Amino acid sequence: MGGFPILSAMTFLPLAGALIIMVVRAATAGSRDETQAGSEGRTALMAGLIISGATFLVSLAAFAYYNPAEPGYQLVEQYRWYQNISYKMGVDGLSITLILLTTFLTPICLLASWNSINKRVTEYVVAFLVLETFMIGVFTALDLVLFYIFFEAGLIPMFLIIGIWGGPDKIYAAFKFFLYTLIGSLFMLVAVVYMYQAAGSSDFEVLESYEFARNAQTWLWLAFMASFAVKLPMWPVHTWLPDAHVQAPTAGSVVLAGVLLKMGGYGFLRFSLPMFPDASHLFQPVMFALAVVAIVYTSLVAWRQTDMKKLIAYSSVAHMGFVTLGVFSFNEAGVQGAIFQMLSHGIISGALFLIVGVVYDRMHTREISAYGGLVHRMPIYATLFMLFTMANVGLPGTSGFIGEILTMVGGFQASTWAAFGAALGVIFSAVYMLTLYRRTVFGQITNPKLNAIKDMNLIELICIVPLALLTILFGVAPNLIFNITEGSALRVLNLMAGG
Amino acid sequence: MLPDFLILYIVLAPGLIALTGLVHKFIGDKLVMTLTTAVVLSAGALSLFQLFAYVAGLGGHVAGGEEHHASLVAMSTASELKQHIITLMPWIHVGEFQANWAIRVDTLSIVMMAVITGVSGLVHLYSWGYMSEEPHKARFFSYLSLFTFMMLMLVTADNFIQLFFGWEGVGLASYLLIGFWYQNKAPNDASIKAFVTNRVGDFGLALGIMAVFYVFRSVEFGPVLEAVRQNTAVVPVGFTEAFPVRELSISFLHWNLNALEVIGVLLFIGAMGKSAQFFLHVWLPDAMEGPTPVSALIHAATMVTAGVYLVCLLSPIYEYTIYAAGMITIVGAVTALYAATVGMAQNDIKRVIAYSTCSQLGYMFFAAGVGAYEAAMFHLFTHAFFKALLFLGAGSVIHGMHHEQDMRKMGGLAKYMPLTYAAMMIGTIAIIGLGIPHTQIGFSGFFSKDAILESAFAGGAAEVMFGQLAFWFGIIAAFLTSFYSWRLIYMTFHGPMASKAHHNEVHDEADSHADDHLAADDHHDHGHHGEPHESPLVMLVPLALLSIGAMFAGLYFYNAFVDHNNEAFWAGAIYRSVENHVLHNRHDVPEWVIYAPLIVTIAGFLIATFTYYFNRGVGKRIADSGGPLYSLFYNKWYFDEIYQATLVRGSALLGNLFWKADKKIIDGLGPDGVTHVTQGAAKRLSKMHTGYLYHYAFVIIGAALVFGGIMWLRAGGVN
Repeated sequence: MGGFPILSAMTFLPLAGALIIMVVRAATAGSRDETQAGSEGRTALMAGLIISGATFLVSLAAFAYYNPAEPGYQLVEQYRWYQNISYKMGVDGLSITLILLTTFLTPICLLASWNSINKRVTEYVVAFLVLETFMIGVFTALDLVLFYIFFEAGLIPMFLIIGIWGGPDKIYAAFKFFLYTLIGSLFMLVAVVYMYQAAGSSDFEVLESYEFARNAQTWLWLAFMASFAVKLPMWPVHTWLPDAHVQAPTAGSVVLAGVLLKMGGYGFLRFSLPMFPDASHLFQPVMFALAVVAIVYTSLVAWRQTDMKKLIAYSSVAHMGFVTLGVFSFNEAGVQGAIFQMLSHGIISGALFLIVGVVYDRMHTREISAYGGLVHRMPIYATLFMLFTMANVGLPGTSGFIGEILTMVGGFQASTWAAFGAALGVIFSAVYMLTLYRRTVFGQITNPKLNAIKDMNLIELICIVPLALLTILFGVAPNLIFNITEGSALRVLNLMAGG
Repeated sequence: MLPDFLILYIVLAPGLIALTGLVHKFIGDKLVMTLTTAVVLSAGALSLFQLFAYVAGLGGHVAGGEEHHASLVAMSTASELKQHIITLMPWIHVGEFQANWAIRVDTLSIVMMAVITGVSGLVHLYSWGYMSEEPHKARFFSYLSLFTFMMLMLVTADNFIQLFFGWEGVGLASYLLIGFWYQNKAPNDASIKAFVTNRVGDFGLALGIMAVFYVFRSVEFGPVLEAVRQNTAVVPVGFTEAFPVRELSISFLHWNLNALEVIGVLLFIGAMGKSAQFFLHVWLPDAMEGPTPVSALIHAATMVTAGVYLVCLLSPIYEYTIYAAGMITIVGAVTALYAATVGMAQNDIKRVIAYSTCSQLGYMFFAAGVGAYEAAMFHLFTHAFFKALLFLGAGSVIHGMHHEQDMRKMGGLAKYMPLTYAAMMIGTIAIIGLGIPHTQIGFSGFFSKDAILESAFAGGAAEVMFGQLAFWFGIIAAFLTSFYSWRLIYMTFHGPMASKAHHNEVHDEADSHADDHLAADDHHDHGHHGEPHESPLVMLVPLALLSIGAMFAGLYFYNAFVDHNNEAFWAGAIYRSVENHVLHNRHDVPEWVIYAPLIVTIAGFLIATFTYYFNRGVGKRIADSGGPLYSLFYNKWYFDEIYQATLVRGSALLGNLFWKADKKIIDGLGPDGVTHVTQGAAKRLSKMHTGYLYHYAFVIIGAALVFGGIMWLRAGGVN
């Protein structure tokens, strides 16, 4: 395609915006004093909103050019870098869906920070914009080296967001996050190098058609798995997530659960299945076992939590277990369900973290026991919270149901045991979510501080209501998404089958 | 059948009008109440008209009993399925997995639509009186309408997925309405218990649906049920050759089992949850924490019958599953008996009726289990009238007694509330199935319950699995039903008013049973002052209309549902295999079988009259003596305690264990150990916080360049 490089524009627009904000700030640094610090932060946030909003519009434009009827990569841009490594970008149904999720969530994250972030606001905005570039880059890259750069670079701004704007234990959480993901990535790096050596190119399309030796596939698969399993996260490498979520600011949690976790599922579908099909088949039982353990184990742990964010973090691990189940069922229902589950979970868990953030901003605690009876003071909040509670337990009519049922339907075809275990999660999710809701929202107000608590304000509604509408829209008309992702899902399965 | 736009109105309008509850702040409670009531009542009128018109269209529905046997000959030939499907829009289309939003109109859904919207409309109306002192009326009415919509979606689904939508949707509405008084502990506990117990059932239902898709490669009722009827050869996923579906074996977990048996059992587990059958029944009595109109609508007439509906809808499958059908029979029979024993010993008026519901649902299930699906649906239909009547009558009592639900504090109410008394008498005569065999004289329950018992006997005679046992359990349960129903009448309406005489004494006793204590009581805090009073007209009209149904629905619809017109009536919506003659053979059962229900019913009546009418102290003495059998029944066979000690506690312990494992084992061996080493680095990082952003940006870009550089060098080094 010789036209305007829209994917590059979309990917680097936030980074360019971040640079402009820094330059402007540096230029005005001399005239600045303490009293203006607040207004500078607001200006930076506004600028960030405009930039990320514009990025969202560009992504919509890219989506408009995207033709869902074609299964392969589209809007491809390619510039040779060095030898057979090139700067190559493109999208298919899988990546465009996740890109839209990213560009949609980022402005919401910035807006949600409007009242809750009060220190180093400019840096915060810059960090978020830089992060957005790297997140989009992960999904647009069609070259393994380029992918790896984005994949790794994304760690840094996220690390900073947790480490600087986080809660009291932020350093511990940030390092745990960094350590897990970095170690996972190092294995991947080795695999990347090997693959380039073997296939003579780092182009996805070349790698997809290259047939790695069976033995090599096993090792490469394991190396990639190390990285993706941490990201997703899968049991037992999930323990960084609850800590990271608890310490991260609200927006950090939203983007972490909403987008960063999805890179694991994306990686499985982009690399593990099409490039190492034999190894994927070999490890299918292991992956099923880990998926079921994640669903049952973390659901039970979620139930025992006393911290709202930790509970939702554990529930994220359980819900990502359905992604693993769907991906490794190797059939259309499973793979489509997994992609949908990623999107749906991005919306629902993002919304749940925002919901927690609403009361955290007012009460400065996430302890469930500090709440109770919110419905008496916050009826709108109670209504929206109920909606997302039901979405998170997978009530039909919400998007949460579609992903769960399809991944289980897919899983059943591959292994009745896996579907059986995963279906247990359907019971447990109801237990922990309804318990959470009941303890925070229902009952009498026992904490006197809650007597004066205010219902959601306009900014909070602007953040959460669109997510609520999407949850229902995708729950009632999921074909909107399936029509986009069908080609990619089938393509992955065809590549697996050696087609 | 009605034209499409009216069908759409019946199904969708309650859902849309429920949304007005979201904006009640702006439009006012009164408008929400008016709109929801008007919409559901009109939908009810249309649905009832549809049912009557449909039955009238069959011809000969009022024909006398003499000609029955002549026309029975044609009964076991399967007739053509009459069905009309309105497709609204596609829902989930992923490969072969195709589910639409659709409305399926056939006899089953016509019957269900009439029951749902009819009872719901009356319950809406009744709630104007019952909930008149409530501050959250708009919320209540919009939940009721939401429930109605979900229930209609359930019964008009043309595929398993929309059925599941309605199935869980009614669960949501039920959860919201049980916990309507959300400020209190008991309703909150009960609502979560209901949702979670239902989820256990849904676990089975969901697996059943997965198995259906696996075997049939479709989730639509049409193709799936047709394949079973025709014994079509199917190719499950991963199979290389086709097998006739009835003989197909699939591997489930590590067993190799008949595919239809697997599907049948799994789907029935869902039905057990929704219809509160033995093992999964524990939520239903607690659900009485919700307002009484909710109990009448959701927990008596409609939602809890969804399981029965499901089994009847899937009659083609259960016709070819010996063990799954046997499971339905035994579970139904045990539930019928079990719930009746517990119902005898309860003191809360609503709980007695709740256990009675549980028991009657058991009847419906064992009828379906032995193959008399029509009888099951007939009992579902008549039961909706008299059970809604009993609940609304109980609500009238509770309302008149200022939110008192303990029958020990009642008595002599007949003279204060004569109309409610009359309605409750009608409901009682209907539920105990009083009627004179070989005649058309009797209330609704007589026709449907006797049809079930005779079918069970005929099934037993034909060696249907557990048929004989179901018949005997059903007879014993009929005896108990008569006893506890009359006990309720005597304790409530006859004798002296207990609450005046021994007010304090009884109150203390009630307090000692925490689970007897009721939310409505806490919430309204009216105390027990004031004379009992008759309920307002808006509550009595629904009672009157339901009384008519409780009296005559059985007689009027008998021929259509279960007798000589049933082939034409069901029009293929219920399927019977050529070997299934249960409904026919029930006419050939011995004479004693036909008289047995009447005899045990009279026996139950006499014993109740002796112990609770002539010697009112006897019941109390039995309770006080606390014999082992009484304790067992009073404590519901200790199900709650056993579940609490095993399942709930076990899960909690496991959850705590896993959480510890996360902290100690995974973190201890993993990151914490490593982080220990890198604490120096952490300190350096905290120093970095004073820096400006370009420092970070530098780090970011630098890192990217380093990674890129490594790659570049590596790549370069290779070639």
